[in-house]
Amino acid sequence: MIKAIFYKEWIKTRWYLLLAFVVSMGFAIYAMLRISRVCSLKGVDHLWVVMMQRDAIFVELLQYVPMILGLILAIVQFAPEMHHRSFKLTLHLPIRATKALASMLSFGMMVLLLTFLPALLLMWGYLQTILAPELYWHILLSVLPWYLAGVAAYLLACWVALEPTWGRRVSNLVIGILLLRMYFLAPAPEAYNEFLPLLVIVTLSYSLLSVLSLTRFRDGRQD
Amino acid sequence: MENIIECRNLTHYYGKRLIYENLSFNVPRGRILGLLGKNGTGKTTTINILSGFLQPRSGECRILGEKIGEMNPFTRRKIGLLIEGHVQYQFMNIEEIERFYASFYPNWKREAYYELMSRLKVAPHQRINRMSCGQRSQVALGLILAQDPEVLVLDDFSLGLDPGYRRLFVDYMREYAKAEDKTVFLTSHIIQDMERLVDDCIVMDYGKILVQMPVKELLGTFRRYTAQVGDGFEMQEIPDMYNPSVIRQTLEVFSMHPEDEVKAQLSLLGVNNVQAEHVGLEDAFIGLTGKY
Repeated sequence: MIKAIFYKEWIKTRWYLLLAFVVSMGFAIYAMLRISRVCSLKGVDHLWVVMMQRDAIFVELLQYVPMILGLILAIVQFAPEMHHRSFKLTLHLPIRATKALASMLSFGMMVLLLTFLPALLLMWGYLQTILAPELYWHILLSVLPWYLAGVAAYLLACWVALEPTWGRRVSNLVIGILLLRMYFLAPAPEAYNEFLPLLVIVTLSYSLLSVLSLTRFRDGRQD
Repeated sequence: MENIIECRNLTHYYGKRLIYENLSFNVPRGRILGLLGKNGTGKTTTINILSGFLQPRSGECRILGEKIGEMNPFTRRKIGLLIEGHVQYQFMNIEEIERFYASFYPNWKREAYYELMSRLKVAPHQRINRMSCGQRSQVALGLILAQDPEVLVLDDFSLGLDPGYRRLFVDYMREYAKAEDKTVFLTSHIIQDMERLVDDCIVMDYGKILVQMPVKELLGTFRRYTAQVGDGFEMQEIPDMYNPSVIRQTLEVFSMHPEDEVKAQLSLLGVNNVQAEHVGLEDAFIGLTGKY
């Protein structure tokens, strides 16, 4: 039955999955090409000096890409469910409602993983050919909160989309925006290092918020 | 007879507005029960409670002996649900949606679905959101037939359908429910469809049930009485006489009481030469609930 839920989610998101993968990889490739260009024009030693002296990481253009991709995925996945309240069909299936929801969210998380991980691996693969481990980990650890923001944006947008009333949806949206701000508060590279494990746990815990929306949907809350 | 659907003392409010209080009804096995009422009397509210998408303020409903709110997911396999407007997953085509649902139902009858689909003039890969409302109704019906549930809950199945599709739906459903001993609870705003389909009816007014009985019994006892009256005649309220009105010196009133008794009562009010006639379900509904 979970396989069938995945099948449904796949039908909804297959074209977006391709687009998200292309965009995510496209931005990562472009960022690496920029670094490669700096290396070929001014040499790798210049890159090292700029990174160490000016705290540059050369991948700033990736900052909001994961968040936007996560946000759109939630819309692509849940807007059709809320259209004419066809989410009722999912809840009428002979499967526990929380299990159905967990399957849908798991699918979304897998899509994000398949979208983000290749981009991170690409950056890791290329950067280690030109930079010392301290420097490429400096870049990768700096971008990690942005990719976590992508997961957070997805989970928070699911919470907003599943909410049955417009009033609560707006207040959830405001809370969601404030929570997402947390991922972009510190502009300095590696500013989140100490906080990263907690940030991962907090991010994953946003999945529980969708259960609140599910409960309200099943109780028949209306504006 | 075993009750498949049992609702006891349902009370529900939207905000402070009372929808109904202490509503109770049963649907025995193998019967088709239609819920009739004007807009806003709580038909969809009742369907939402029955399908577990609304928590009533008080009271409880059971289907197949299980409380709706605590129903085992596997019991839902035995319940077919048609959502108002024949809502289905719009992003799927007729093959994808069949493949999706088949995984959930061990007794899935694929051939029943495709037999109905063969009547539709749609390409197998045409998505449901590009179908007409009538075609979507056939997809929804086909999925219910393939699911082969014991109980069917159908919310306003006539919505958006032209007369041909409505007739097709009603005839298919009636034949299926009777041949397979299915229990059906449904609403529709087209009363003629109900007359062809249902065994029993509940007529609801704002906040209460007016009538709950087999359709044959209702149509056998309910009559319209008309008579000519003088200028300025005002009909006083008489218990068990429904919605009296005078239009252009013609009195019209409805009642379920024996014809002799009604005529005698009207005679006491000075109304003579009363004509009595049996009516169809739609006129009976109007007679019970009023025109406005």
